[in-house]
Amino acid sequence: MKVICDRGALVESLNVIGGVVAARTPRAALTCVKLSAGPDGLSLSATDGEISLRLGTARVETSEPGEALVPADKLQQIVRESIDPTLTLHTEQDVAHITGQDSKFKVFGQPVADFPAIPQFKGDADFEVTAGELHRLIAMTIFATARENSRYAINGVLLERDKKKLVVVATDGHRLALAKGTCKPATDEAASAIVPTKALNLLLRLFDDADQTVRVKIADNQILFATDQAELSSNLVEGNFPPYKDVVPKDGDKKAALSTDLFISGVRRAALLTNEESKGVRMAFAPDGLTLRSRAPEMGEAEINVDLAEFVGEPIEIGFNPGYLLDALKVVDENQVHLEFKAPNKPGVLRTGPNFLYVIMPVNLQ
Amino acid sequence: MPIRKLSKLLINQIAAGEVIERPGSVVKELVENSLDAQATRIDVAVEDGGRQLIRISDDGHGIPPDELPLSVEPHATSKLTAAEQLAAIGTLGFRGEALASIASVSRLRITSRATADGKAAEAGAALEASGDTVGQVTPWAGAPGTVLEVRDLFLNTPARRKFLRTAPTEFGHINDTLKRIAMVHHQVAFKLSHNGKTVFDLPADQDQALRCVSLLGKDLEDELMLFEHEDLPDRGGARLWGLAGQPSIARATGKGQYLCVNGRPIKDRNLAHAVKEAYRGLMPMDRFPVAVVFIEIDPHAVDVNVHPAKAEVRFRNPSHVHGLVLSAVRQRLLGSDLTPSASLARQGGFQDSNFRGVGPGGTPQAPGAGAGLSPNVSTDAFVDFFKRMDPREKGFAYQEVRKALAAEDPSAIESDEASLMPSANDSSTQAPGASLKPQTVLQVHKSYLVTQDDDGLVIVDQHALHERVMFETLRNRVLGEGKPLESQRLLMPVIVDADADQQATLEQMQPLLEKIGVELAPIGPEAVAVHAFPSFLFDRGVEPDTFITDLVTKADAGQLDLSNPNVQESALHEVLDMMSCKAAVKAGDKMTEDELSELLAKRHEIDRSSNCPHGRPTTLRLTLKDLEKQFGRT
Repeated sequence: MKVICDRGALVESLNVIGGVVAARTPRAALTCVKLSAGPDGLSLSATDGEISLRLGTARVETSEPGEALVPADKLQQIVRESIDPTLTLHTEQDVAHITGQDSKFKVFGQPVADFPAIPQFKGDADFEVTAGELHRLIAMTIFATARENSRYAINGVLLERDKKKLVVVATDGHRLALAKGTCKPATDEAASAIVPTKALNLLLRLFDDADQTVRVKIADNQILFATDQAELSSNLVEGNFPPYKDVVPKDGDKKAALSTDLFISGVRRAALLTNEESKGVRMAFAPDGLTLRSRAPEMGEAEINVDLAEFVGEPIEIGFNPGYLLDALKVVDENQVHLEFKAPNKPGVLRTGPNFLYVIMPVNLQ
Repeated sequence: MPIRKLSKLLINQIAAGEVIERPGSVVKELVENSLDAQATRIDVAVEDGGRQLIRISDDGHGIPPDELPLSVEPHATSKLTAAEQLAAIGTLGFRGEALASIASVSRLRITSRATADGKAAEAGAALEASGDTVGQVTPWAGAPGTVLEVRDLFLNTPARRKFLRTAPTEFGHINDTLKRIAMVHHQVAFKLSHNGKTVFDLPADQDQALRCVSLLGKDLEDELMLFEHEDLPDRGGARLWGLAGQPSIARATGKGQYLCVNGRPIKDRNLAHAVKEAYRGLMPMDRFPVAVVFIEIDPHAVDVNVHPAKAEVRFRNPSHVHGLVLSAVRQRLLGSDLTPSASLARQGGFQDSNFRGVGPGGTPQAPGAGAGLSPNVSTDAFVDFFKRMDPREKGFAYQEVRKALAAEDPSAIESDEASLMPSANDSSTQAPGASLKPQTVLQVHKSYLVTQDDDGLVIVDQHALHERVMFETLRNRVLGEGKPLESQRLLMPVIVDADADQQATLEQMQPLLEKIGVELAPIGPEAVAVHAFPSFLFDRGVEPDTFITDLVTKADAGQLDLSNPNVQESALHEVLDMMSCKAAVKAGDKMTEDELSELLAKRHEIDRSSNCPHGRPTTLRLTLKDLEKQFGRT
């Protein structure tokens, strides 16, 4: 195999593909990136056994088609550190030669046959969605997933499609983020899948054009995403996602609306005087405004007043982990947020428009 | 069988069964008699573990010849005349049973030359008694005082004789008994010998602390810390004095513990518990601290007439006394650097190092730190020392200063008080160990931190120290502020398997769970649902289901005593301990430089940082002296 590549394009592709490569594995082949040179260019593939990514790279001239397995980290480092505008990749047997104007690298690879077969996107997509919409749905929810929770299902993100409606949900048991969007379905059959967080994080990095179309297919315990240049496949997370519709409260009778920026600033300042054992921020909502209070023993106290654009119902005092609030406020794309509460020991709801909803459980404050 | 009145011999033998259990009890009874007779020197000679011979010689006021026959009669005593005295007993003996009981089960010979009004009688007399036969009083010439010889103990009660243990064991009991008595009566000279060999020989008029150390073992002198406490007069005005041993010298049995009430060595589970409780978290729970506790209390507040052997007493207000002992010992321990030395070599003697740990934080000690031991040191140094003391300790140490000042120059108190008192609240006083700012920290094998302080090399077990730090923080929050831990409510309850029994256990633990911020409720017969869980445990990656399961297992194993409301605090300790253990960094966790220095900084901020809540040490110190020695530089 012999190709001449544009170094800049190759660096970009390797940066993305590096995210898939398994960090620690006894299987040497999984630490490698597979190079496939054909008439239509060079494609890079990598897998960690669960998630696989195939990525085409632009501006390549193939002089000799073929395949090779090259250690991903070394290849990435060499290409990144090089100073040439183009590099020549030439492989013979299991050895790769990377040649620039003033440099020559010889890197020992692995036999191509050791690389596992990775799923291919075949046939029609179940639905299509624009990259921009998918990006929004994932970004607005993925932060709420659990990490290493024993209830595996909530370590992933739930994707649900019913006709044109696409709903993405994530929760860690303390809060739940839900974003709604639209897609172009190919079938009327509803479908749902729990996708590992790692796969979605990679997906977010694949989109460089918001208008491009992403084709999605769910089959055989796998989900596949495809764009013109890339294909990402992932095993699904097994198990049942909690019945999220049941935990979204609908009886909140104390409603507030306020500026997103003011709220962020208030919460951030109140969070300054919290610590590990006492991290809750006390929020007193009343018609004349919101008062945030925090107190860390042996450290001090804070009080911040925030104007409310609107308040309906009885005044209420409720405690929240400021981190959970900020997570959601950071992804909110409107300049006003709506809050709903029922009681200090019942979940609170944060909304922006019809497309984003965030349920957050209070902390008990004494 | 017709009912008959028991013969006098039988009555005495039955009484002897209660009072005279073994040779050790003979020693106890007779030595107490000697003490009641104001002896200043008591000599105990034992042969064959006391089976052959126990001879007690004293220089007390003796027994006049005409009273000798009466002395071996049951319920005959010179110590008690009116029933009112029973309510406030001032002598060690009072039941009038000992001599009669001993005579009934051995061959007893009493020789005595009485002293009356400071004048010794011309001559003494001797009397022999054995079983139910009492011999004639015969003239005897000897030094003023009394010599009692008990031979062939249990000669006429073969069953009792058969149950005697080996001579070394029986002698061990005698030794222990006499030690306990000698510790209290430090002004009296004691000598104990076994088969002609001297076991100990203590001079008269020994200082109290010196006497204790002589009896506990000279090698422990560096490991003992003096404590003193005086209760408020309106609360009974009990006075406490004692020595608390370093956790590192704790023993596997309670033998190193000496409890005395009003000059009477006692065994009391309540007080033993108080001492142990004070060491909670400083040593493993299966160890027993070495400690001496003397309590002086209003005789009306304690009943010694509970048991024929008088080994037990009853306090009118046991929980108050418990609290006094607990806080006095705990305060002492809190103010001390308990970091064990990594080396086994001990340097310094009693006189030059005084009590190790008296100085806060292991800082070099002022002369006179062990003031209780060497009364000759100058008061100036004494005052100087207390000025440098941790304010927390000053509270009661100040009383000591005051007393010493009063003893030396009563007029000095007024003038010195003004200069002393402000410093007692001086916030600029260095906290223990504050001068030991670590410079560089090295994490080795992702498990231990190595740093240095003024004295040498300090090695810290990261898990143990972090566990202690978390534990103290949680403890302050829950016990100090009386607030439950902050808990995060759950969107979807976590379901934990729990059968009916386990549900009942959890139900019983409800008040405890509330305090730590856990909220759960049964959901069906086989499971409970957790609705809220402490937020800091979430952050530390501790999940509710494993935590609750472990908690129930612990409770089922009887490690949490929930039945008794008095020990709720200790159950809470256990639970907080479990929480901190789960939440703390583990051995093998890589820590960043900031985390390392933060953890080490906390070492000086919290109480009891020398040991993890299980009592294992968190920190070892290798002193420069040790290093120099090891490297042959000295």
